[in-house]
Amino acid sequence: MKLRTWFLAPGALVMVGLFFLPLLIVLAYSFLSRGAYGGVLLPWTIDSYARIFDSLYLAILWRSVWIAAVSTALCLLLAFPLALYISRAGARKTLLLNLVMLPFWTSFLIRTYAWMFLLRDTGLINTVLQGLHVIHEPLPLLFNTGAVILGLVYGYLPFMVLPLYATLEKLDPALLDAAADLGASPVVAVWRVVVPISKPGMMAGCLLVFIPCLGAYLTPDLMGGGKTVMIGNLVQNQFTTSRDWPFGAAISLLLMGMVLLVMRVLGDKGEELL
Amino acid sequence: MSGALAGCTRGRERRLNVYNWENYVAASTVPDFEREFQCTVRYATYGSAEELLAKVFSGNSGWDVVFPSNSFIEPMRQLDLLLALDHGRLPNLKNLDTRFQRPQWDPGLAFCVPYMHSVTGILYAKSVTRTPLAWADLWTDSYSRRVTMLDDPAEVLGACLKRLGHSVNSGNDGELKAARDLAVQQKPLLRAYLNEEVRDQVVAGDVLVAQMWGQVAQVAIDNAPNLAFSFPAEGFALYADNSVILRESKHQDLAYSFLDYLLRPEVAAKIAMEMRTATANSAARAILPAAQRDNTVLYPTAEVLARGEWFKALPGPVQRLRDRYWTEIKSS
Amino acid sequence: MKRFLPVYACAAYLFLYLPLLALGAFSFNDSKIAVWHGFTFDWYGNVFRNSALVEGMLNSLLIAVVATLFATLIGTLAAYALWQKRLPWLTGSLYLSLLSPEIVTGVSLLVFFQWMFRFLKLQLGMHTVILAHISFSLAYVVIVILARLRTFDRSLEEAANDLGATDWQAFRYVTAPLLLPGIVAAALLCFTVSFDDYVITSLVAGVNSETLPMIIYAMARKGVSPEVNALSVMITVGLGVLVLVSGRLESKR
Repeated sequence: MKLRTWFLAPGALVMVGLFFLPLLIVLAYSFLSRGAYGGVLLPWTIDSYARIFDSLYLAILWRSVWIAAVSTALCLLLAFPLALYISRAGARKTLLLNLVMLPFWTSFLIRTYAWMFLLRDTGLINTVLQGLHVIHEPLPLLFNTGAVILGLVYGYLPFMVLPLYATLEKLDPALLDAAADLGASPVVAVWRVVVPISKPGMMAGCLLVFIPCLGAYLTPDLMGGGKTVMIGNLVQNQFTTSRDWPFGAAISLLLMGMVLLVMRVLGDKGEELL
Repeated sequence: MSGALAGCTRGRERRLNVYNWENYVAASTVPDFEREFQCTVRYATYGSAEELLAKVFSGNSGWDVVFPSNSFIEPMRQLDLLLALDHGRLPNLKNLDTRFQRPQWDPGLAFCVPYMHSVTGILYAKSVTRTPLAWADLWTDSYSRRVTMLDDPAEVLGACLKRLGHSVNSGNDGELKAARDLAVQQKPLLRAYLNEEVRDQVVAGDVLVAQMWGQVAQVAIDNAPNLAFSFPAEGFALYADNSVILRESKHQDLAYSFLDYLLRPEVAAKIAMEMRTATANSAARAILPAAQRDNTVLYPTAEVLARGEWFKALPGPVQRLRDRYWTEIKSS
Repeated sequence: MKRFLPVYACAAYLFLYLPLLALGAFSFNDSKIAVWHGFTFDWYGNVFRNSALVEGMLNSLLIAVVATLFATLIGTLAAYALWQKRLPWLTGSLYLSLLSPEIVTGVSLLVFFQWMFRFLKLQLGMHTVILAHISFSLAYVVIVILARLRTFDRSLEEAANDLGATDWQAFRYVTAPLLLPGIVAAALLCFTVSFDDYVITSLVAGVNSETLPMIIYAMARKGVSPEVNALSVMITVGLGVLVLVSGRLESKR
């Protein structure tokens, strides 16, 4: 039907022109050779891809996966009780949910900066602790992997709460009461009853958190002091200081490939929810 | 002056886009220029040479005047990014220090005009237990990880090479590999790789020792008298930032005017005074107050300078090799 | 359990808001360091006196408004079309665009623009940033509107058709009005995502297109600056008000 086609055209054009075509060019670049000061030159080569298998870069890949996984797991652990609480809060549900989402509406950059303000050597936490004479030297809270994970968990917590809440909301409280009546302790009740039901929500939440964490760039850069190099930082590096565009292109595509893989694995369940 | 005004036919629509290092002009430099030449200057700053190159590399960046370091002049020329300068339009060129009239990176000053110069040394707090007088000191554990190095491949590799007794411009794979290994060894001892942005942290006492450019160090010392600067014993790098006009520039008239304006003794002196930089303009240096003119951090003695070595532009394959090692250092 | 959850929730909310509250509190601090020295509005004044900040703010606003207009329009139409007919390749690629790491999107757009500019003699600037923002916000709009549409009763449009309305009239007079709250929600989402973007913008920005996040990033790398605190508070409050107002409007319908 014609109207549909007209309606679809601009969107399809944007996707093809500003999403697929750029990725295609990146693909092409990944098979070219690098110019001395940046850019690409002709001989086609698979050098860039071969280089990825160097242990140095595999270590970075692994580190990124590990950090993303830990952050996702922590997010899940922290978000679950919160989502459960909100889903049972009756009339105040929407308000509480909005309060969770509100930080998300503010700038990610600002929230990261806020943590830097708290954690640096001369930041609020260290100043307070030193003022109370709990410590004498400032604690190195910033510029390490722990800070990066903290930043990621904090930034993406709302993304985990939302889908969890969506599934938990449908939970019939009578089920939990029944479990209690049958003699189950609260912990067992949650584990045996609530968790299985919330699986789709958990999948969707993990999807929404793991992928951005995997490709994170700002958080490791700011919270990690540029020392915790994840895939995102490596890509950025290639397009600026190291000027190896083909290598940067190859890694970008690798990252995309990993994203697609995770989407396949976690995605089918989660997509219905979205 | 009247010649300059006569050149202005339109009002403030005349634009000039200048991209410079941070803290390289005095507060009044650009506004005065805008007033005199009846134009608007878009003035933005960058923090690293790499940042500059990445932006202008495409030949299509929109900037008119930029300030690359001397080792970038030759590559930029090869990439056809620079406009060949017509000395006739730069009458104040004669004010340059003799040292910079025929510099090794552009003997005829065909493409650039030296602007400010300094060295890369060590900025440190005098209160540290071990005074860092050599690069080797930055590899010891004496500063509880409150050490930073510059976020610049040439500088980090340069320091490592000097420590090994080689030239900062070495293209030898063996030497570069050794330098890379040294840098990787040092990394756990570092707080971070930071450029000028670490200055405030050194002043605040957050960071104790930093590989830093002399000019920036001087500003830090002015703000915190407990700081000092050392010229490492093994040797150190010399650099000079130069003003160039990009070939893509659509505002060449104003660009020439700006370059010549910066060469005026009073303008250059004002910048050097306010921003505590070391000007390449001897006419300007002559009118500086004695304390500034003879400052040994900004204008080291010949004896000290003898230990210094200019950064050179390196051939393509060497550059590629170094960039690769830099990736490895950063990602380790 | 009954006691644990509320206590936990309190702690969680504290965790979520502590950094922002601390930031806010110290935006009024009469000192550059994290030690309370006195109350002042100075830093807020400094923000407005800083012409680079003001220009960045205006750039960010302009980009966000233009990108939102286009993305919402294009996205709403596309979502409607997708509601009528499933197109897995388009929906799939929209999801991919949504989940695609910003660095990859940014790099691909940079490479694309540089390649195009060889033929078009253009430069990186506001237009490239706006195009980039439209590109990545489209997915947000489509997904929000599509989710809304899926809760609609198709029979409404069918009834309109039976009564003689063309497809366009059915859309314009039946579905679109019902969709309005969703469109507003999508536009708001689009605006915040665009206003806040740093990674993609920094890669494709040009000489005259420095945005607020770019300036904040540069200031954040330098160290603590109470002006950034003040600026952050203003942005947070501004966006918060926008969200609350739109939420109210939505519930009133």
